[in-house]
Amino acid sequence: MKKQIILTLVIALMSVSQGFAQEWLVPDDQKTLTNPSEYNLSNVKKGKDLYIKNCKSCHGDPGKHNGLPLVPAPPDVVSEKMQNNTDGELHFKITKGRGGMPQFEGTISDDDRWRLINFIRNFDPSREQLLVDAPPKKAKLLASVNEVEKKVEIFAEVESANGSFVTLTDATVKISAKKAFGNLPIGEVLTNADGRAEYKIPETLIGDENGMVNIVVQLDEAYVTDNVVLDAAKVGQLKPQPKLIKKEILWSTNENIQTWLLLSYLGAVGAAWAAIAYVVFQIFKIWRLGKE
Amino acid sequence: MDKVKSPEESRKLLDKITFDLTRSIVKRDEFTNFWYFLLIIFALVGLWGWGIQIRDGLGVTGMRDYVSWGMYIANFVFFVAVSLIGFLISSALHLLKIKWSKVISRVAEQVAIAAVALAGIIIVTDMGRPDRFLNVFLHGRFASPIIWDVTVVTTYLTISVLLYYLPLIPDLALLRDKGTDDIPQWKRNIYRILALGWKGHAEQYKIVAHAMRILMILIIPVGLSIHTVTSWLFAATLRSGWDTTIFGPYFVAGAFVAGVAAVIIVMFLYRTRYGLKDYFEDYHFNMMGKLFVLVCLVYLYFNINEFLVPGYKMKTAESIHLSNLFTGKYSTMFWATQFFGLLLPITLMVNKYFRRPVPITIISVFVLIASWFKRYIIVIPTLEHPFLPVQNVPENFQHYAPTSIELMITIFSFMAALLIITVLAKMFPVITIWEYAEEKGISREIISEPKK
Amino acid sequence: MEKKSRRSFVKALGVSIGAAGVVGGSSILNSCTQVASTNSDTITLLTSSGELVKVDKSQLKPADLPSLSENQKRGREGLPGRKFVMVIDLSKCRNARQCMKACQNHHQLRPEQHHINVLQMQDAENTAPYYMPKPCQHCDNPPCTKVCPVNATFKREDGIVLIDNERCIGCRFCIAACPYSARVFNWFEPRDAEKYEGVTYNIEANVPQKKGTISKCLFSADRLRDGKLPSCVSACPNGVYWFGDQNEDAVTNGTTHETTSFSKLIKDNAAYTLMEELGTKPRVYYLPPKDRAFPFQGEIDQHHS
Repeated sequence: MKKQIILTLVIALMSVSQGFAQEWLVPDDQKTLTNPSEYNLSNVKKGKDLYIKNCKSCHGDPGKHNGLPLVPAPPDVVSEKMQNNTDGELHFKITKGRGGMPQFEGTISDDDRWRLINFIRNFDPSREQLLVDAPPKKAKLLASVNEVEKKVEIFAEVESANGSFVTLTDATVKISAKKAFGNLPIGEVLTNADGRAEYKIPETLIGDENGMVNIVVQLDEAYVTDNVVLDAAKVGQLKPQPKLIKKEILWSTNENIQTWLLLSYLGAVGAAWAAIAYVVFQIFKIWRLGKE
Repeated sequence: MDKVKSPEESRKLLDKITFDLTRSIVKRDEFTNFWYFLLIIFALVGLWGWGIQIRDGLGVTGMRDYVSWGMYIANFVFFVAVSLIGFLISSALHLLKIKWSKVISRVAEQVAIAAVALAGIIIVTDMGRPDRFLNVFLHGRFASPIIWDVTVVTTYLTISVLLYYLPLIPDLALLRDKGTDDIPQWKRNIYRILALGWKGHAEQYKIVAHAMRILMILIIPVGLSIHTVTSWLFAATLRSGWDTTIFGPYFVAGAFVAGVAAVIIVMFLYRTRYGLKDYFEDYHFNMMGKLFVLVCLVYLYFNINEFLVPGYKMKTAESIHLSNLFTGKYSTMFWATQFFGLLLPITLMVNKYFRRPVPITIISVFVLIASWFKRYIIVIPTLEHPFLPVQNVPENFQHYAPTSIELMITIFSFMAALLIITVLAKMFPVITIWEYAEEKGISREIISEPKK
Repeated sequence: MEKKSRRSFVKALGVSIGAAGVVGGSSILNSCTQVASTNSDTITLLTSSGELVKVDKSQLKPADLPSLSENQKRGREGLPGRKFVMVIDLSKCRNARQCMKACQNHHQLRPEQHHINVLQMQDAENTAPYYMPKPCQHCDNPPCTKVCPVNATFKREDGIVLIDNERCIGCRFCIAACPYSARVFNWFEPRDAEKYEGVTYNIEANVPQKKGTISKCLFSADRLRDGKLPSCVSACPNGVYWFGDQNEDAVTNGTTHETTSFSKLIKDNAAYTLMEELGTKPRVYYLPPKDRAFPFQGEIDQHHS
């Protein structure tokens, strides 16, 4: 029985490693499928959103070749390795997955999977690029926290054609709060005509034990700027710190032992050994009587 | 008590009793030497095994991360179980004013002392870090059943030794005063010291009776707790097969069965080897047989509860455990222990024929072996089936089989227990002489009068 | 005893890297422990991920690594204000076992010893099989600490159940008490025992391991003290693990480094805890294996029967 399992495991492992070495074969009937989703801006945009949500964490930003260092490496969207696939092949691979590539059969609808392919084709050199990402512009971001009104005040500027900085309007500013192991996104706000924006910090935001929060402010990927990490400000709720180890709890150390337990234990042991001591004393008395 | 005899008659009878009951002390033949040799060799082999285990780690045993308690714990439970007989015979029956058990009480105490001492030792062999044993006292956590167990085992051992020693004092004085030259001088020196200058004053007798009574009452809660707490080592966990509320009384009832069997075997050995036919009479075996049936019936009742109730419901994890016992890997062992350990003694010993010394001893041997295996299948099968699957570990993690080192240490523990019993039998009379003499109508004055 | 611990304290008077980027960046070497000084120029160090590296002595400057007793004391107190929690997304696991590998390296474990074990599960006969990484559940009602006879395993205020293997007597009652089979024992000399000789015991990593004592998952408490995610969480290539502080209601994914609200994550995905009917109150939550990203590849066998 056990041997059988090991055997199947070995076979499974072998087939997986072989699979990596081999081409990813797609059945012919799948290969030739054509994309039913029309290649238009709306579908490409939808595909982009899907890409950011489901694919970017491994395949990276298109054109930046910053995918995860996995084996085999997840190819960049703009790469030949990706674009050489037919629509049908892409669709099959997204649907079924293999090795480190998840299967999206259950998590992304068929229509959306085709839209993803619309987005991938946006980077096909033989096609017209519908969604043009302008090169990121240099920007400046200033922000401060208003502790009294519990809001973040933001001012953004962007480098204009002549090199001077002008106010940045209609730009998305992302607000997050620093947590133990990362930044928790809490909201977004658009800059107004003056390049200013105000973000009302939600009441529910939790800070540290004194309610202090480090707010992080950043612009979207279209701009190059340093993220602004603001000094801790008292804008959050006090972090709840319920005590985990209570007095008199059975699973804790001796310091927190139940009084009744300790008393019954010591009482019983004490009584037993007092009686034993009494008996030993009686033996001593026998000895004393014997000496008389 | 027989009718009062004349002083002359009494002295003669007392001499005969003393002669008979010191035969074990005097007798020293080839067989005794061979027996000692055997015990010591086996015990040393076991100690050698323990040495290997300390050097290489507990990995030399068959235990692994899933079955992390094995034969040592089964031995521990077995020894604790056997030791409980001291409480039953020398205290409970005494307090119930049952006379026939008096002759047996010293045998019961011998067995109790040997078993509880070895229970304490075997548990140390199960520790990963025996060098840190003192941590138990330095950092003892009062909420842990292990601390309770350590406490009751030491308390029970102390009480058992006192219960053994107190009625021994007048005997020691008697041997000191009347002992023949057959008894080696060094033994008599020990008697003189341990007799505490006993003179047989009424006052001294009164103190002995008083102290005995205290101990007999004290040993009831302590005796019950020693095995109840041992059962809690299992019942305090969440595992199927152990997670049951009747484990305390179930263990106590099982302990009586094992203990009665052990005492009958030792009684029979003394009877044949030391020619004590007139002391451990057929009558005593008959009565022990009746007691045997009684405790077996109680144990049977708990067994039915323990297996029928979860077997009726067959909850997921329980059903895996139970089918493993009833029809699976452990079924042979399970049904054998139930048959030889319960059904056989009950069905045979309701018949008077099987309560005679030889048949009852043979049955007891079967029962004792069965009760060891019963402890084994209480400990191991439960651990082989945790709630979550056992995966990504070598094959030997999934099943437990004891290794030779474990067998060696187990043999050591049994040999050491037998060694303790042998030494006690060779050092001190196996029946309380003065009590027996009094029973036969010999007055205390005559018992404690010095040798002419 | 006193003497011995003092000596090892001096021996392991810690070192940290002065100049950055000696061997693959200073971040790996932040919390190294000295293993042995081979000659006057180079020195062997143990990184917190369990690698042994050789470093030029001139690159080192002394740091204040706490002594054994200090380490044990602060190890018992835990990180103030925190309450660590882990969320395991079963729909993402593809049995890559990077978590197991990283864990074994970090905690000096033999190949058969698992602080975290990826199990192949099937709940009922006809339900879908799935992979389930199973670390210690760090229960809020831990059955293991309840039974320990010597206070060697204990619960910290930050939620972590830790072990002091300088105290453990090896009775294995905690193994018997744990329903999750989360504990392992050092039946033999631990892996690479000779390499770790003389290293001061770090209670928060339970390294060096000791023969005859217990070990188990500690949420990499030593890494948490440095503000890093546990080894398994960081090692996962598939975004299975979320880890964070329940008090501030935020968990961070070890793969994508995305941070999200803990309460929202477990509510939206109908998270559950393992064997909640036992009343152990685990600190590890599981997101159900619905819409699995990877197909189940193994062959399920009904091992617990």
